[in-house]
Amino acid sequence: MFKYVKYTNYPINIKKKDLRMAKYLITQFGGANGELGAAMRYFSQKFSMPDDYGKALLNDIATEELGHCEMIASMVHQLTKNATIKELEEAGLGGMYTEHGKGIYPTNSNGVPFTVTYFAVTGDPLAYIMEDMAAEQKARATYENLINLTDDEDIIRILLFLRQREVVHYNRFKELFMYYKKKGY
Amino acid sequence: MLFEDNDFDINMAFFIPDLSISRHTNILNPTEGFLKGNMFQDEYEPYKNFTYFKLNPKDEKERLLYQVMALSFAINDLNLYLDLHPDAKEVLDLFQKYVKDEKELRAIYVKKYGPLEVTEVTSNKFNWIDSPWPWDSKGGSMYV
Repeated sequence: MFKYVKYTNYPINIKKKDLRMAKYLITQFGGANGELGAAMRYFSQKFSMPDDYGKALLNDIATEELGHCEMIASMVHQLTKNATIKELEEAGLGGMYTEHGKGIYPTNSNGVPFTVTYFAVTGDPLAYIMEDMAAEQKARATYENLINLTDDEDIIRILLFLRQREVVHYNRFKELFMYYKKKGY
Repeated sequence: MLFEDNDFDINMAFFIPDLSISRHTNILNPTEGFLKGNMFQDEYEPYKNFTYFKLNPKDEKERLLYQVMALSFAINDLNLYLDLHPDAKEVLDLFQKYVKDEKELRAIYVKKYGPLEVTEVTSNKFNWIDSPWPWDSKGGSMYV
């Protein structure tokens, strides 16, 4: 069961329209290393975790990642909200506009739609957590690439926050991985 | 076998935790943790020379909301730590303190500015639906 809270994990208040960054950012919603993949990966894996540590950690990080989906989608929405059709076309978003109007649709930066093949469910706790550690590292790297692509502080501050969350999640997963190795799973 | 006495060499680089014992923790206050995105100073990894940005609430409502958000962040981050260290007494004590603080501060916010959860609808009107929703632009300029 989930409860909705009417605020984001970190404030999203972007003042400058930027279609170029919107096109790049959307990948952290619908790309291979994005938040939707992360949320669904942990959500799906939690059902076959072997103990309470694993169940709790995957459940709680999955929940946080759902909130991060909302953050990325909110950023893209705010960056594109008042764009004209001509501006969208000039930014290479004419195809996106054709398919989705100004709706927020989970794709990567190149418009490739989200697919569940981005994550794995093996039923094996070590394979799970090792994949989850890699996922956090890939998301961290993607956030860094995105930070390198802009100088808008309204965007950078949010990306720094989300990047740091990947660092934290990686550390928690690493702890659990080593515990499971020690236990002999 | 490449590594006779070591089933997986990645183990070498990892700290092996004992989940039954809490380690020494270096926990930040909720405001600083929130800004950094990490409640644990010893695990904080800044990117390049970026540190973090201060929040500049535009009014009393936003200031109060940011405080609720900071406490909610602290609760969430300690939650993840406690998932693996449920017997870490000092972390649990902090967790419970922040839960209490958040409840009190949120009650003040809700009374003044409306619900943050649907069960907090207080007026005769169902003001849950009132804007702004979290994804709406807030105080946007000429650009947004």
